[in-house]
Amino acid sequence: MGKTAIMKIMDRASGGEVKVGDRVWCAIDLSTARDFGGANCTLQFDDITDNKGRVWDPSKIAFTFDLQAPSHSEKVSNNQKIIREFAKRQGIDKVFDINWGIGQHVLLENGYVKPGDVILGTDSHMNLLGAVGAFATGVGNTDIAASWLNGTNWFRVPETMKIEATGEFGCGVYMRDFLTLLVGDLGAGGMDFLAVEFLGDVIERSSLAERITLCSMVTEMSGKIGLIIPNGPALEWLVERAGANGQAVRDRVREITPDPDAPYCEVRKYDVSKLEPMVSCPDAPDNVKTVREASGEAVDQVHIGSCSNGRFEDVATAFEVLKKSGFKVSSSVRAIITPATREVMAKCAKEGFIEKFIEAGVVFTNPTCALCTAEHYGALPSGDVGCSTTNRNFIGKVGKGSHTYLMSPASAMATAVRGVITDPRDILC
Amino acid sequence: MKIKGRVWKYGDDVNTDVIFAGKYTYTVKERADMAQYALEDLDPDFAKNVKPGDVIVAGKNWGCGSSREQAAICLKELELGAIIAKSFARIHYRNCLNEGLPILISAEAQDLVKNGDEIEIDFDLGVIKAGGREVKFPPYPKFVQGLVNDGGLIPHVKKSLGLA
Repeated sequence: MGKTAIMKIMDRASGGEVKVGDRVWCAIDLSTARDFGGANCTLQFDDITDNKGRVWDPSKIAFTFDLQAPSHSEKVSNNQKIIREFAKRQGIDKVFDINWGIGQHVLLENGYVKPGDVILGTDSHMNLLGAVGAFATGVGNTDIAASWLNGTNWFRVPETMKIEATGEFGCGVYMRDFLTLLVGDLGAGGMDFLAVEFLGDVIERSSLAERITLCSMVTEMSGKIGLIIPNGPALEWLVERAGANGQAVRDRVREITPDPDAPYCEVRKYDVSKLEPMVSCPDAPDNVKTVREASGEAVDQVHIGSCSNGRFEDVATAFEVLKKSGFKVSSSVRAIITPATREVMAKCAKEGFIEKFIEAGVVFTNPTCALCTAEHYGALPSGDVGCSTTNRNFIGKVGKGSHTYLMSPASAMATAVRGVITDPRDILC
Repeated sequence: MKIKGRVWKYGDDVNTDVIFAGKYTYTVKERADMAQYALEDLDPDFAKNVKPGDVIVAGKNWGCGSSREQAAICLKELELGAIIAKSFARIHYRNCLNEGLPILISAEAQDLVKNGDEIEIDFDLGVIKAGGREVKFPPYPKFVQGLVNDGGLIPHVKKSLGLA
C-alpha cells in the first residue's frame, strides 16, 4: 500500500514510518504566532520556564502582526510590545511588524515555506499553506509554547480525502465559487480531522492565489490540511522565493508526491464547467446558495480582502468589475478593500488601481486581516448586512446582531456597485 | 473520576466565536474574567446559570472555527464538568485536552438527554447515566490518556525534557 502526501510529510517529520491513526511527534520547521494570541504564547512560555527559558531554535520562530495592524488601542499596543521584547530577548529576527500584512502570505512571499514543511501558527487558517504542499495548522497558545520548548508537537496521522476538479470556469465564476460549493456540499464538519488532496486539471492550471483561496477554507469544513502538490508557475514562484533553497523546494515536491496506490477514505469528483457564482448566506459558511438565488438583498457594507481572497489577482478581478461599471460604487454601500500584504498593495499602486478605487468611493486600506475580528476596523453595527470575501460569517463574528454573506471578489464588487447582492455575470459577461 | 450535574444541550457546529467572542480576546486577559462571556452569542443564560459539574451535550463538530484557546479556558473557569459531543473540531479538541477539560465523544448522548436533565458520568467505567438510562463511551486513546495523566501538554513535554 502506497502513501498519501500527508503520510510522506509525517514520515520525514517524525523520522519513522507512519500509519493512518498513529499519533506521532513531528519536528516543527516553523512555529509562528501573531499579534492576536502571540502575547499569550510568549507570556505562557516565560511562565512555564520561570522567565529563564530559551526557545529551542530562534531561526524557526516567526511573529506576524496582522490581525490588529496598526493597533487600535493601548491594550493591543501593549500586547504587540510584549512580543517585540520577547523576540529581542530570544534573538528571534523574523518579526513582521504592522507594516507587512497577513502572516501566512508574508511568510510565503519571504520564501520561508517549503513543500513538506510542518508549520504551527495561532491562526486557524494557517493551513492555507497547504496551497504549496506544506502541512501547516492552527493551534492554541499552549501548543505553540510547548513547541518552543523542544521543537516538536504531536499529531494524529489523518485519513485523506481526494477531491478532483475538472472542466473550466465560465465567465464570472472563480475558484472561490467552487470552494463555496464544496463547503455547502460537505458542511461545517465534512472534513473533520481529515487531510485533503486537491487535484485535477482545474487545480493543475490554477494560480497560487486560487490555490490559497481553496486551501484557506478547509478550516471551514473542519479539515486538518488541504494539500496541493506544487507545479507550473506556482512551483517556479516558490523556487524563486526560496533563493538558495530553490533546489530543496523541487526535491520536496518529489518527496511528498502521493503514490498511485495511496489509500483514500473518500474520492469526490467535480466538473466546474456549469458552476454558477455561489454565496455563503448568514450565519454559517455552509449555508450555501447561488448568488442568483440571493440577489436583490440590500447590503450596507462590502469588504474585499482576507487570507482567503486578498491576493493581487483578487483585487484585479474586483477592479475589472468596477471598471465595467464606470468606476462608481453605490452611495448606499460602504466599500472596503484590504490587500493581503504590502507586496500586493505596492503592485496595486503600481498598476494604478488604488487611485481608481479611491475615486470610485472605495476605502483602500493597509494590509491586515481587517474585519475578521469585530474589534478592528470595518466592524458592523447591529442590524447591518455585510458582504465579504472573508472566510467566516458566524453570528456576532464581525459585530453583534449583524449578518454577513461570503462570496468571490467579483460578486462582492458587483454587489458594491449595485448596492444589492448581484450576480457578477450581469456586469462582466 | 465521576461528574454529576445538569445538562446544557446544544446542536451541531457550535463555533468558537460564539463560545468566546473575538471582541473580548484582547481586552479580557484574566482567566477568571473569561467565564462570564462563555456562549454569550448562543445562550445568554448559560454563563449566569451554569453550575460546577454541569455538562454540555452537543451535536457534531463542537468548537469549529477560530483556534482561540479562550474558548476552552472560559468553560474550564466555569468549572464545567465535561463536554459530550457527537464529534469535536480538531483544534478545539486539542485546546480542551491541553486545558485538562474533560471531553468525550458519544453519538448516543444527544438522544438520551433533554436540556436541564440530571446527568452522571463515570470516566473510570466509561458510562453516561441520564433519565434512568445509560450509554457507554470509549476510553481515551492511550496516547491522549498519557497527556491527560500528566496534566496536559506542557507538563507532558516538560516531563519528557526532564524539566518537571
